[in-house]
Amino acid sequence: FRPCPIATVARRESRSHAGDSSCASLAMAEVEETLKRIQAHKGVIGTIVVNAEGIPIRTTLDNSTTVQYAGLLHQLTMKARSTVRDIDPQNDLTFLRIRSKKHEIMVAPDKEYLLIVIQNPCE
Amino acid sequence: MSSSAHAGKSKRHSVVVSVTSKPEFNMKRTSISGTSSQRQISHASGFHPSRIGSLSRRSILITSDGKTMDKGSLIGSKHTIQVFDEQGKDVTPRPLYRPEPSASLHRQSKILSTQDFSGATGSDFLSSLSMHQTSGVNASLVGPFSRTYGSSSISKSTTSTTESIADEIVEPGSRRDTAISLSDVLVRREEIKEQLTKEDIDKRVDIYLTETETIWLLDMPTVMVSIESEDAEKVKERNKDYIELCKNRVGNDCFVERMMQTLNGAPKNKEVQCDKILMEDKGIMATSWDLYDSFNALETTLAPSVTERSSRPTSLSSSKSNVTKDRERTMSITSTDRESITSSSIIDLESVILARIHEEEEDHSEAILKSEKFQQDLFFMERVLMENVFQPKLAAYRQLPVLIEPVLTSDAGKEEAVTEEAEEEEEEEEGEEEEEEQKEIVVGSSILLDLSEAPEEILPPSLERLWSYTCELTNGHNVSCMAWNKLNPDLLAVGYGQFGFQEQKKGLACCWSLKNPMWPERIYQCDHGVTALDFSLANPNLLAVGMYSGTIAIYNVQTHNTTALLDSSESFDKHIGPVWQLKWIEQDRGTTGDDKGEILISISGDGRITKWLIRKGLGCTDLMKLKRTASERKKLTGEKEKKSEALISRQPPGMCFDFDPRNTNIYLAGTEEGHIHKCSCSYNEQFLETYQAHKGPVYKIAWNPFSTDMFLSCSADWSIILWRQDSLRPILTFSSTTNVVHDIMWSPKSAFVFAAVNEGRVEIWDLSVSTLDPLIVTFANPGVKFTTVLFARNTDCILIGDSDGIVSVYELRNMTASDSNKVDALHDIIGSALAS
Repeated sequence: FRPCPIATVARRESRSHAGDSSCASLAMAEVEETLKRIQAHKGVIGTIVVNAEGIPIRTTLDNSTTVQYAGLLHQLTMKARSTVRDIDPQNDLTFLRIRSKKHEIMVAPDKEYLLIVIQNPCE
Repeated sequence: MSSSAHAGKSKRHSVVVSVTSKPEFNMKRTSISGTSSQRQISHASGFHPSRIGSLSRRSILITSDGKTMDKGSLIGSKHTIQVFDEQGKDVTPRPLYRPEPSASLHRQSKILSTQDFSGATGSDFLSSLSMHQTSGVNASLVGPFSRTYGSSSISKSTTSTTESIADEIVEPGSRRDTAISLSDVLVRREEIKEQLTKEDIDKRVDIYLTETETIWLLDMPTVMVSIESEDAEKVKERNKDYIELCKNRVGNDCFVERMMQTLNGAPKNKEVQCDKILMEDKGIMATSWDLYDSFNALETTLAPSVTERSSRPTSLSSSKSNVTKDRERTMSITSTDRESITSSSIIDLESVILARIHEEEEDHSEAILKSEKFQQDLFFMERVLMENVFQPKLAAYRQLPVLIEPVLTSDAGKEEAVTEEAEEEEEEEEGEEEEEEQKEIVVGSSILLDLSEAPEEILPPSLERLWSYTCELTNGHNVSCMAWNKLNPDLLAVGYGQFGFQEQKKGLACCWSLKNPMWPERIYQCDHGVTALDFSLANPNLLAVGMYSGTIAIYNVQTHNTTALLDSSESFDKHIGPVWQLKWIEQDRGTTGDDKGEILISISGDGRITKWLIRKGLGCTDLMKLKRTASERKKLTGEKEKKSEALISRQPPGMCFDFDPRNTNIYLAGTEEGHIHKCSCSYNEQFLETYQAHKGPVYKIAWNPFSTDMFLSCSADWSIILWRQDSLRPILTFSSTTNVVHDIMWSPKSAFVFAAVNEGRVEIWDLSVSTLDPLIVTFANPGVKFTTVLFARNTDCILIGDSDGIVSVYELRNMTASDSNKVDALHDIIGSALAS
């Protein structure tokens, strides 16, 4: 009679011992799952992840739209960050939301990437 | 000046370089006392032989020793350096100057760096003199050195300056003295850095300031003379004469006019071509954060730059990322530092990089996706999305006025101010109850559409469904228990497990957060159906889960780890029957000598109520056994009560229990037989009282949180019974359906209100309104049975779990706000009921 937690522990450890790559792949799987969930949300029109150079890493929209969003939002994010930091250099921008008539664009900026989700909340 | 003066100075050195004597020169050797190193001062009558010192700068060494020394030109190296041409003829250049013996250079003055001599002008010489004066280095100034360049004026000034340099600086550091080798006219400039020893730095250096001779740079003699001066007469005379002369000039034979022609050179145009001068405009905006960054980065790069260097070559992608970072960096001082560091490391790896650039691009994007920040951002993003979707519902949950999205055509301008959300940005893991921020959905300066306020209607109390906690993992499971977290009232733990024996399958325990109703924060898979769970009060991150197999597991919800912290499956006295209820109780007094603390109590189908202790020493790490008290608490012997049924003496399964909120020593336990026993923690053999009224298993007992004399019990015999503690007969019975009542709960806000679920519907009873009928009745969807109910603590909502794995949140609307603590009123009602 083996109780469940022990079993789970054993399984997990074996997986982790397989090496770093498996741990990383576990994280990747979780990330993928979360991305999928976000995309499947009610009203979500598109999800975009671009790196610092504007190259899309993950996107659910077509390429031209993606590039357009990425370019424009990148500039806006830079400006917003500059604004925030001009007022207080120890502060930094963490999240940016733009509500428009038709949708809401949510941007999670970072030095290395931009996570953009476009949602239509009225649906 | 004099040798005596020099002798007086203690630590003066001068390096005698090439002591390889040159026989054709007279050398006078004089040693000066006090030199720490073995230096001797050789004074050549004509010159100082010298060679390049092994140390430090090439500079001219002064050896001074009285008047005997002349400003020897350090021609010296005639013998050390010899130049031969192809034919082997000695073509070593000979010095242009041989100093006279009578030169009075004996002062110790400053060192000149040789480069100053290459085409030195007087001013250069002097300036370098002054420069070196301040550094306090001994030097042998070779006055005649300058003379080698043939400028007599220079030498003159040199001598003057050297003479004026009176007491010279005593150079402690021996190493400072070097000799220059004048290999001759052309001297290379070479500045070798001095090796400063620690003594050099610490030693006291005396600096003497002297005044040089006045240097005339411009002399414009005056053209005016005062009348009272001595020369006035003479000047006047001369002036007069001159005027006379001018007058006489006209017509005088002595003066003849003549013309002269000046020759003008013929101008010539010359054209020169040069490269186009490109102009570039460059602008940068200096923002305050840029300045701040530069300052900070400057500090931080100084320290870890060394460590950075070593760690760089180990990871390609990080170096690449640094490069990209540098590219986007605005101009700052330190960026150049960084770039140099990265560039050096990158150069090392350049070949490798070139070959694998493509792979790196991919790795980099993978790295982004795997980075923690990205996961966090995803987490927040999901929350934000949820908030958008559920905003009206969540607002209703919080009893905030509901904001209705205006239609597109109306004034959209007002909306902007409303929905700014600040909470997620600061939120960490949802599981950390301790740090949970309480900034919830703030509707700011909300624009209200007062639809709800306009008509003054009296609406009947009702339940309004807000949302459900459900996801695909929970579909098909039966919700068996729910518990709020004690610290964070928005965190809900739900256990999923079947009730019946036949339908047993794997169970699940999930922690749901208000902020994300579509996916649980924590998912714990269990081998057996979960039948009971509770959050701890003392350690709000501990969740105890009881299962159908009798196992009790404790999870730490703070971490993402999905394995149990502690598990009772290996302990000796674990439960054999399903654990029907778990509770963490704060004990007022320790029973077996333990300190007062929190203990976990469970009741299970094997008829035992057991107390579990987590010993202090056994932290919460790997699987450890729980300790129980030495003896079991109770054995509910069925024999005592049912003497008529002399069957196998089994212990009837215990189904539920509840502790007296005032006195945690007393508790009630319900059994499958339908009996309710009042027991005490201090007696584990006897019951204090037994209440017998139910005809079926008692599924739930609940003390009234306001009036501790009353409690409620529900059972499979379709009825709910209200008891009073001192009466063995039920006070009130509520039976409105013909369904098994699975769960009941008193409202935390009102002493009269309680909720009950039976299979097909949920009923809200309000005793102040009616004791015969429920106030609100809501029906379940067909095919789905309601199984559990839970009141929300901080709001007027109720959670109902059903057999399909859905936990629905309903809002209680239009409940008359009764005085919740009017216990007396309750007693009155009871009294009236009793009387009737």
